[in-house]
Amino acid sequence: MTALTLALVIPWAGGTVLVLLDGRRRLVGWLAVLMLAANLGALVVLATQVLPEGTVEATTGNWPAGVGITLRADALGVLFALLSSLALLAATVHEVLDGVRERVFPGLVVMLAAGLTGVFLTGDVFDFYVFFELSMTAAYILATYGGTRRELGAALVFTTVNLLGTFIFLLSVAGLYHVTGTLDMAQAAARVADVDPNAAILIAVGFFAAFSVKLGLFPFHFWLPTVYTGARPAVAAILSGGLANIGAYGMLRFGGELLPDELALASTALIVIGCASILYGGLLAVSRRTSSEMLAYSAIGQVGYVLVAIGVGGQVGFAAAILYTVVNALNKILLFLTVDMRGAIVGAVFALGALSVAGVPPAAGFVGKLELFRAAIDSPAVLVLFVLGSALSFVYVFQIYQFDFWRGERTGALSSRSQQSLVAVVALVVLAMGLWPEPLLALSHDAAEVLARAAG
Amino acid sequence: MKLAFALAAATIFGTGAYLLLHRDLVRVVLGVVLISQAAVLTLIASGLTRGAAPIYPLTERDVSDPLSQGMALTAIVIGLAVTALLLVLVLRVVQAFESREIDDVAEDEAAHDALLEQLHAREHEDEEAAAR
Repeated sequence: MTALTLALVIPWAGGTVLVLLDGRRRLVGWLAVLMLAANLGALVVLATQVLPEGTVEATTGNWPAGVGITLRADALGVLFALLSSLALLAATVHEVLDGVRERVFPGLVVMLAAGLTGVFLTGDVFDFYVFFELSMTAAYILATYGGTRRELGAALVFTTVNLLGTFIFLLSVAGLYHVTGTLDMAQAAARVADVDPNAAILIAVGFFAAFSVKLGLFPFHFWLPTVYTGARPAVAAILSGGLANIGAYGMLRFGGELLPDELALASTALIVIGCASILYGGLLAVSRRTSSEMLAYSAIGQVGYVLVAIGVGGQVGFAAAILYTVVNALNKILLFLTVDMRGAIVGAVFALGALSVAGVPPAAGFVGKLELFRAAIDSPAVLVLFVLGSALSFVYVFQIYQFDFWRGERTGALSSRSQQSLVAVVALVVLAMGLWPEPLLALSHDAAEVLARAAG
Repeated sequence: MKLAFALAAATIFGTGAYLLLHRDLVRVVLGVVLISQAAVLTLIASGLTRGAAPIYPLTERDVSDPLSQGMALTAIVIGLAVTALLLVLVLRVVQAFESREIDDVAEDEAAHDALLEQLHAREHEDEEAAAR
């Protein structure tokens, strides 16, 4: 319980202080890194409690249970919190080594960590909205980081579209409260079976639209390429490796746990939308010439796999979705961080990330793809699409590799040695997960079990 | 009463969505504000009960639902904060682009992409010429 509270309080209090300081000073930047590391440490301690013993709960403000807001850490939430915290830490270290350009950057990243930790560790639907909005607000300002026309235009699109998404989420929260009379996720999940199916479907569609916007799935993707290519690499890594996890988590939590019947009903629709995403993202990524554009479209394609796995459902499907979200987030962090870099080992690091995106062993992407194939084994059409999508991703990543590193189209100053070692460390993590996937597989199955148990 | 709330929320949401599709950035902000108000109205409507004020210790049996009021208040505060943020963002965009039309922002981005494309095409031609 202490670890649960600390994981939330450290970045929250720390972020509030850091926002007031001048982040361009090196000390402040390293302070932010320290706070993110402390957040990660608290989450690791929490994970060691949650994984063997099950859910850890706390009620805020010493209210009696049922009145106060509950914080609930289960395997699913802890895994996503760990992943996002790791993403923010890597991106922040990368930016601090390069020299922070705006005073609010370190503080806002720490605030974002507080928001994300809260989103993944809350057991209350409205509290989820508050933390969701906290992390989004920090991300809106982060998207302007750099302050040139390009970033401002991207931030404007990002903010408007995502605000619309969060308000649609809020409408669905109001609907869920109206039909179940509770905001507690566990209670709502128990009561939702007796709800009028029409109302429940409407609510589920609202949640789906809100999280699809966050994930950047095919019909909701229009904001994504502008933002991911317009933002600076570290910010793009934060958005795609940290923030986009909310979308996958929300789909799993609200679809898998709260509205399992509606999810099963929409199974075919989800698989179709997911496949459309895979094809659209893959085809457009092939036609791109710069790595950031390629990665932006690749992000649309890669979340398609996650959606298909969620559509397949069941414990195998959810486990595959969780595992692929983790792998995809790590790939995106790695590749976005290398976008503007040049140096002796950058090419090798990029190649490893590219192998992981394409799903070739020994990188972690292979394990993710393997689980996806296992989940979709019953439907040949989906399998064919997966193979096609993987082939496309192989083409687009190595096409860019060829342009950037063989032809030497990537220009700019040589990156510092410390930055190069940072991306090498991230690459080693991706490699290690591919070589020894057992812990990650076990974790994702534990997390999927939480959902399977809730769905009964 | 529920119908009245539903109609009001729908009208406000519709107006907001219409404004959101405008070119003028200030109207886009107003659209977001209206949509946030529609959400607040729905939150209030989600817990419509008649009763005494829910002040602790409770003296009467039937109190009105305090939760939806609490949620609405929180949503209003968050809505205010994001509106302020969005207005500042629009101000910075107006200063950077010297225009408040979304088309000019899009045009700038398209020009940037076209420039990149041109650059790559020229490089490609150079290489082919060298190969020949």
